[in-house]
Amino acid sequence: MQKWIRIVLLIVGIAIITGGIIAYRIFTKPHRDVSAEKGLELSAQSLYNAFRTDEAAANAKYLDKAIALTGEVAEVTTNQEGNTVVNFKTNDPLFMINCTFKIKPGELAPGQTITFKGICTGYIPGFNVVINEGVLVGVGR
Amino acid sequence: MKIFISFLISILLLATEARAQKVFATRNGKISFMAPSDDDVKAVNNEVTSRIADNGQLNFSLLLKGFKFKYAEMQEDFNDKYVESSKFPRADFKGTIVNLKEVNFSKDGSYKVTVTGDLTMHGVTKNITVTGKLAIKAGKPLASCQFTIVMKDFGIEASAVTSKVTAEVSCQYQ
Repeated sequence: MQKWIRIVLLIVGIAIITGGIIAYRIFTKPHRDVSAEKGLELSAQSLYNAFRTDEAAANAKYLDKAIALTGEVAEVTTNQEGNTVVNFKTNDPLFMINCTFKIKPGELAPGQTITFKGICTGYIPGFNVVINEGVLVGVGR
Repeated sequence: MKIFISFLISILLLATEARAQKVFATRNGKISFMAPSDDDVKAVNNEVTSRIADNGQLNFSLLLKGFKFKYAEMQEDFNDKYVESSKFPRADFKGTIVNLKEVNFSKDGSYKVTVTGDLTMHGVTKNITVTGKLAIKAGKPLASCQFTIVMKDFGIEASAVTSKVTAEVSCQYQ
């Protein structure tokens, strides 16, 4: 009888510890920090060209990757959560590289050339390539 | 002759003006979702592109990798196990406002709208109809609505977490 109780207690104990470890992992795993990554160096135009010519190949190459993008700022806006967004120019007046900052970059203005590093989430034909969770790397070349 | 030509040109310009529809767009609309049964399962995407035209046509596109969760582990599972965002990076909706007659894009106000169209995600296209609100303020529309997405309708196997989510759209157009 006592042996039986001990086994049950042991199993319950193991279950609690395993559950605890899983929960701990889920709730404490840190979000990806792009500022610690090197990033693929690209121009806004070359990133657009890659997606326009072959979306599948560009997805394989750039999705989820840290990208250090250099280009000319077309416009500076804020998204509906108040984060700064920069749209980079391409040779198509309607197509931008849409980049959202996770840390406020300070004053930026259209016409400036800047380098932004963030994570590429993909391509929306006719609109933009999206990069988010980004930081400002530098202004000017 | 010169006068005649310029007269002709201005008539042509006027004609195009009259036919031209008004289109509003955004690159940074917002769509969030949450599991009705679990408060922790919620995520928001602030890079929704959308166009809405005063002829009633509208579309939305978003990238699934753009959904941000509070917990990194959940975000990873969402992308890798459930929506398979590397294989199906984008979700698209293309539809029309059914009750367009009740909406006046050039008059500020709040209009109830019914929208019907095709939602494509995870490689599956499904016709949906949702009701929402179109608020015109200073000539710029704000579209908002709430609707339910049943995971298995789109071939997404997420029963371990939730069978459906409530999606919430809030897009401010420029």
